[in-house]
Amino acid sequence: MHPFGVPIGVWINAFLTLCILSFLYKDNPFFRFAESLFAGMSLGYYIGIVTENTLRPNLFRPLAQNFWGNVLLLIPMALGIMLYFRYIPSVAWLARIALAVYIGYYVGVYLMQKLHGDILFQSRDTIVSLRAGGVDTLWNIIVMVGVFSVLIYFYFSAEHKGALGKVSKLGIYFLMISFGASFGYTIMARISLLMGRFSFLVNTWLRPIISS
Amino acid sequence: MDIQKLLYIDRRIIYLLVAIGALIPIIRPIGLPVVPTAPVKGLFNKIDTLGPDDAVMISFDYGPSSEPELNPMAAAILRHLFIRKVRVLVVAIFPLGGVSMAIQQLERVSQEFDLQYGVDYVNLGYKDGGQAPMKAMGVSIHDVFPADVDGRPTDEMSLIQQVVNYDDIDVVISLATGVIGEWWANLINAQFGVDVAVGCTAVSAPKYYAYLRSGQMIGLLGGLKGASEYEKLLIDRYPEARELYGKPEEAKKSAITGMDVQSIVHVIIIAFIIFGNTMYFALRRSQRR
Repeated sequence: MHPFGVPIGVWINAFLTLCILSFLYKDNPFFRFAESLFAGMSLGYYIGIVTENTLRPNLFRPLAQNFWGNVLLLIPMALGIMLYFRYIPSVAWLARIALAVYIGYYVGVYLMQKLHGDILFQSRDTIVSLRAGGVDTLWNIIVMVGVFSVLIYFYFSAEHKGALGKVSKLGIYFLMISFGASFGYTIMARISLLMGRFSFLVNTWLRPIISS
Repeated sequence: MDIQKLLYIDRRIIYLLVAIGALIPIIRPIGLPVVPTAPVKGLFNKIDTLGPDDAVMISFDYGPSSEPELNPMAAAILRHLFIRKVRVLVVAIFPLGGVSMAIQQLERVSQEFDLQYGVDYVNLGYKDGGQAPMKAMGVSIHDVFPADVDGRPTDEMSLIQQVVNYDDIDVVISLATGVIGEWWANLINAQFGVDVAVGCTAVSAPKYYAYLRSGQMIGLLGGLKGASEYEKLLIDRYPEARELYGKPEEAKKSAITGMDVQSIVHVIIIAFIIFGNTMYFALRRSQRR
């Protein structure tokens, strides 16, 4: 179906886009309808994608093809099912076992990830040479002063007055510059989203209607 | 005119002006210049050294909500890889739309080249669990993805037979919204030593500079600006890319065209910031009197 030379899917897309953009004027039922539809569809999509891309190839199919060869897969399957036992009061305690395994695994991964990937790398990169030469020396001094003053700002075991207060205030300036950069990038991102929707409305929806 | 009224101008007037500013370049593109920066060149130059014996993994870690920023990035990087005949493995770690974005972009770009599925590129689809499949791919990609996005067994594909784990991959590129791009840098680069580059939404770009500076990433494409810089490098370097981006349909979707909108809207926002501050100080001055 192509009313006015445009596929029906594009019409639905354009209608929902306008529903969402209508919130800029004020809250209204069209916006709430589109918002609820989006939330519901996202959940449905997630369930479908996990079933098709994870459960089927990594669990159901291996068990169906070679049950005894993949019998160990029954353990994660059982743990997954146990998570839902929390809705049955008499066996709700079983969900805690599955949750404990889940938390234990991810705490282990996160711990090493943060230590190895963040703290060590970033600390090493903060220990910079002050004899690098030229502009590099200046940048390294700024990095060193910035890290030191921001760390002092987050040091709460002593009152921020005197020298400590001044360094802490310098830390606030560094933080404000960082927030400013983030805010600038955020504006850029939001404008990109607006541009994406406007580009769709103009080039995919309106132009074919006008030219048909 | 009353300064108070000007200071508390209806926000919908600002929305309207931004909308007009955004619509003008979409209807009639201006073609403002784009200058590539070092973080973008980092990834471009790396890919420029790769060839048919090399393999790159692209992780689609974004959904439709980040499409306007990351789709042009995905298209430009895929085109660069396919022009250089680099083998490409596509995965998705982001649940809400990552795999759909991957299918869409691969369908769009792969038809522009003479490619064989399973040999030159493969779409392995989505895998749930975040860091778990990412770490497990360090041992065996096939074990994590026994089937591709359409359910075809991957052990029959020559690409998966040759590329066993991260040791056989030259660069991992994460096109990311949210935190997943960080995981590639602070988990996969840190623990497996594979080169990582991230193309991210502009909102999350500032935090990635720390990883870029520390050497955990070889390149960074921040938002639409990063995508436009990559397109510019590609167009300047490869005549076939110039031909592709010269087509009217592709030009409309390109990040370079999108940067016209960014520039005009930024001017409007800066004008309002100056206007708001001027009115604020004028009001304060008049109150002192």
